[in-house]
Amino acid sequence: MSSDQNHLKETDTEARFEFKKEQNSSFQAEKGLTEETIRVISEDKDEPEWMLKRRLRALKQFQKMPMPTDWPGQPDLSEVDVNEIVPYIRPDVETRGSVDDWTDLPDEIKDTFDKLGIPEAEKNALSGVGAQYESEVVYQNMQERWQDKGVVFMNMDQAVQEHEDLVKEYFMTKCVPPSDNKFAALHGAIWSGGSFVYVPEDTTVDMPVQAYFRMNSEGMGQFEHTLIIAEEGSEVHYIEGCSAPKYSAFNLHSGGVEVFVGEDAHVQYSTVQNWSKNTYNLNTKRAIVEKNGRMEWISGSMGSKATMLYPATILKGRGASDNHITIAFAGEGQNIDTGAKVYHNAPDTKSTIESKSISKDGGRTNYRGLVHISDGARNSSTAVECDALMFDNESTSDTMPYMEINESTVDVAHEATVGKIGDEDIFYLQSRGLDDDDAKQMIVSGFIEPITEELPIEYAVELNRLVELEMEGSLG
Amino acid sequence: MSAQLPASLSEETVREISDGRDEPEWLLETRLNALEALEEVDLPDVIQTPGRRWTDLESLDYEELVDPLNQSDETERVTDEGVHVLPFTDAFEEFGDVLEENFGATLDPESNYLTALSTALFTTGTFIYVPEGVDAEDVKVRAEMNSKSLFSHTLVVTEQSSSVTILERIESGAETEGDRYFSNLVEVATGENSYVQYGSLQNLDDDTYHYTLKRGDAGVYGTINWIEGNMGSRLTRSDVETELNGDSSETQIVGAFFGHEDQHLDLNARVWHQAENTTADLVTRGVLDDEARSVYEGVQDVGRDAWNTSSYQRENTLMLSDESEADASPKLIIHNHDTEASHSATVGQVDQEDLFYMTSRSVPERQARNMLVEGFFVPVLDEIAVDEFREDLEELISARLR
Repeated sequence: MSSDQNHLKETDTEARFEFKKEQNSSFQAEKGLTEETIRVISEDKDEPEWMLKRRLRALKQFQKMPMPTDWPGQPDLSEVDVNEIVPYIRPDVETRGSVDDWTDLPDEIKDTFDKLGIPEAEKNALSGVGAQYESEVVYQNMQERWQDKGVVFMNMDQAVQEHEDLVKEYFMTKCVPPSDNKFAALHGAIWSGGSFVYVPEDTTVDMPVQAYFRMNSEGMGQFEHTLIIAEEGSEVHYIEGCSAPKYSAFNLHSGGVEVFVGEDAHVQYSTVQNWSKNTYNLNTKRAIVEKNGRMEWISGSMGSKATMLYPATILKGRGASDNHITIAFAGEGQNIDTGAKVYHNAPDTKSTIESKSISKDGGRTNYRGLVHISDGARNSSTAVECDALMFDNESTSDTMPYMEINESTVDVAHEATVGKIGDEDIFYLQSRGLDDDDAKQMIVSGFIEPITEELPIEYAVELNRLVELEMEGSLG
Repeated sequence: MSAQLPASLSEETVREISDGRDEPEWLLETRLNALEALEEVDLPDVIQTPGRRWTDLESLDYEELVDPLNQSDETERVTDEGVHVLPFTDAFEEFGDVLEENFGATLDPESNYLTALSTALFTTGTFIYVPEGVDAEDVKVRAEMNSKSLFSHTLVVTEQSSSVTILERIESGAETEGDRYFSNLVEVATGENSYVQYGSLQNLDDDTYHYTLKRGDAGVYGTINWIEGNMGSRLTRSDVETELNGDSSETQIVGAFFGHEDQHLDLNARVWHQAENTTADLVTRGVLDDEARSVYEGVQDVGRDAWNTSSYQRENTLMLSDESEADASPKLIIHNHDTEASHSATVGQVDQEDLFYMTSRSVPERQARNMLVEGFFVPVLDEIAVDEFREDLEELISARLR
């Protein structure tokens, strides 16, 4: 084993995510969800009337829609009782809204993000950073040179005030309406925090912007909303990281992400999710791509008790393209149900989906994907590839792709393989002096490499560390 | 959701059918149980994705389609040495025990609404019994449907170390007014180390709604190979399924379809690996022309105890028309890590380069396209052991292309 890897092993990876902080808050909504709760949240945020109306309308939709229960092999959501969660917690930060200097934050919040390595990463590799603690963004900063070019990166609540017209036009109207699914409706009613990113025409933001989401309190729900608007010819890479300490009660994360990719624009959206294993992670993420635009979704799902996440891309303009790379790692008690959705609605559109999953110790991974090629989307092509790796016989791995093709001049291919870790591969590595655990870790690292190479180095290291953490000591 | 029970159905109807065929008491019981189950069981599952149900079986008018007492068919049965190929009515006396033991054992009559309906009302079908050690080729069943509705039930039982190759051909005979309904249930139970190839070629007329469920139970070292050819009918719902229950058992499910006009083909291939060292190979190829639509689901389910499983699935659809639609969902469900599995599905059109190559050799474009379509089916045709079946299928394909 190389010295580099030993070094990684010695870092207190577990401690980095599992620590808990005292729950200090200046405002905490009552448990559960009523019209009253929503009015209180909206008022606390000093929102314009139209936003309150949208929230209330979403609440009605949420109450009307049934829980999804009839998807084949879906995670069990019976424990998810929205009336048991605390939908809104404003951490105790003196200045309202977010600060732009870490030292202005209360010590325990700053300490949290220090432990997670966020300020360090900001110095080295990022154009801008946002950090959300419970329901509110507590830190937001972007390098001046981007601000000068008109790039906007601010927290969503602030954007409602400062960019009201844009938000009013794009917020849960064209991309993810609250009626999309039950949890999108819930999100629409009680969303809080998240990021607003606006990149003007022909602007390339060449270092990624990052948002980090942390749930600290027990039994809370986090519902951040991210809205990215990339104008014609622009380029941006957005990264989100998520974590929470483990408690006995369940936590709910139901984020909403809307991405508008303009003509010839390019957006990459990367997620490394390491929610604690009591978290239900039920997100709705969607992008609309105009002519010759390009959308890339890179997702690593490591944590959570149950994840249901299918980032969707609507290829609306001619020549638009999409790339999905997802990796899921399910250990004991985890059910990671993830995949991709692509709608080809214009000619000459392309999509590629690459999905990798690892299941072990009774974990369950499921790839669920939909590729739809509309009538008239001539010369569209799509390629879907799913690979699953299983460690033991208690684990389960399912692959359920759906393809709907309404156009003849297309090229559609789906491929999947499932296998166990090859004894021969392990033997080879062992014969070179690696022990069993290290050999397996190395094979897994190789298996997920297509994902890690898409991420900035800090994130790739992070993902590798998480995988190692998952693997540590659990292998015989 | 259950369909509405047709008014023409009652216990008396079922008794009348059973009496007319001089059936033993147990079969009447089975029919009556199936009739009763109609109240409870649902239509077969169909795939749903957001905003879309891929096949709508609920909107079929069963009241209109089901005419139980006027069923009529013309069935020719060709047997081979040592094999018993009989209508049920001729088999009760000699094979009563084998029938009673195996009927409905592999294919549960109460699986869904359509199987229950079929079991309660069937009036034709074949019992094929292959005794120990017999090797039989060229068993043929050619059926012609001559009534508004027809329900058929076929049972194949093979004893230890036997083998049999069966061809079933289904066509429409005398014309009738309006829509028609054909239901075909087939169950295959294999003994240890026996081999069955069951080929079915359906070419019903375009007024006929067609439901078929074929299910096999492969024993130790047993092999069941299905070949399912669907050319005709207005709507076909076909499920071809094998349970690999014996160690080292194998199955192959080969499908070929060619939809045209406004045909709707809902084709399903499923295999359950339940024992050690089992192998499955699912291959389906189909062509769609005009406004035809295909829905494909392939399921490879590997159980907890299915150590050392190999399971492969391929589905390819060729679209000849811009108005056609193809849906595909190949599914893998894996509970044992000692598995090698893969699946793939593609949808495409006739390769432009191939077409160009041939037209540049002065083959007229239409002919070149037809040759490429015929070539597309070759990997499937190669799997067919019965010459007659292969030739028939080739003929139907080329007739449809002209």
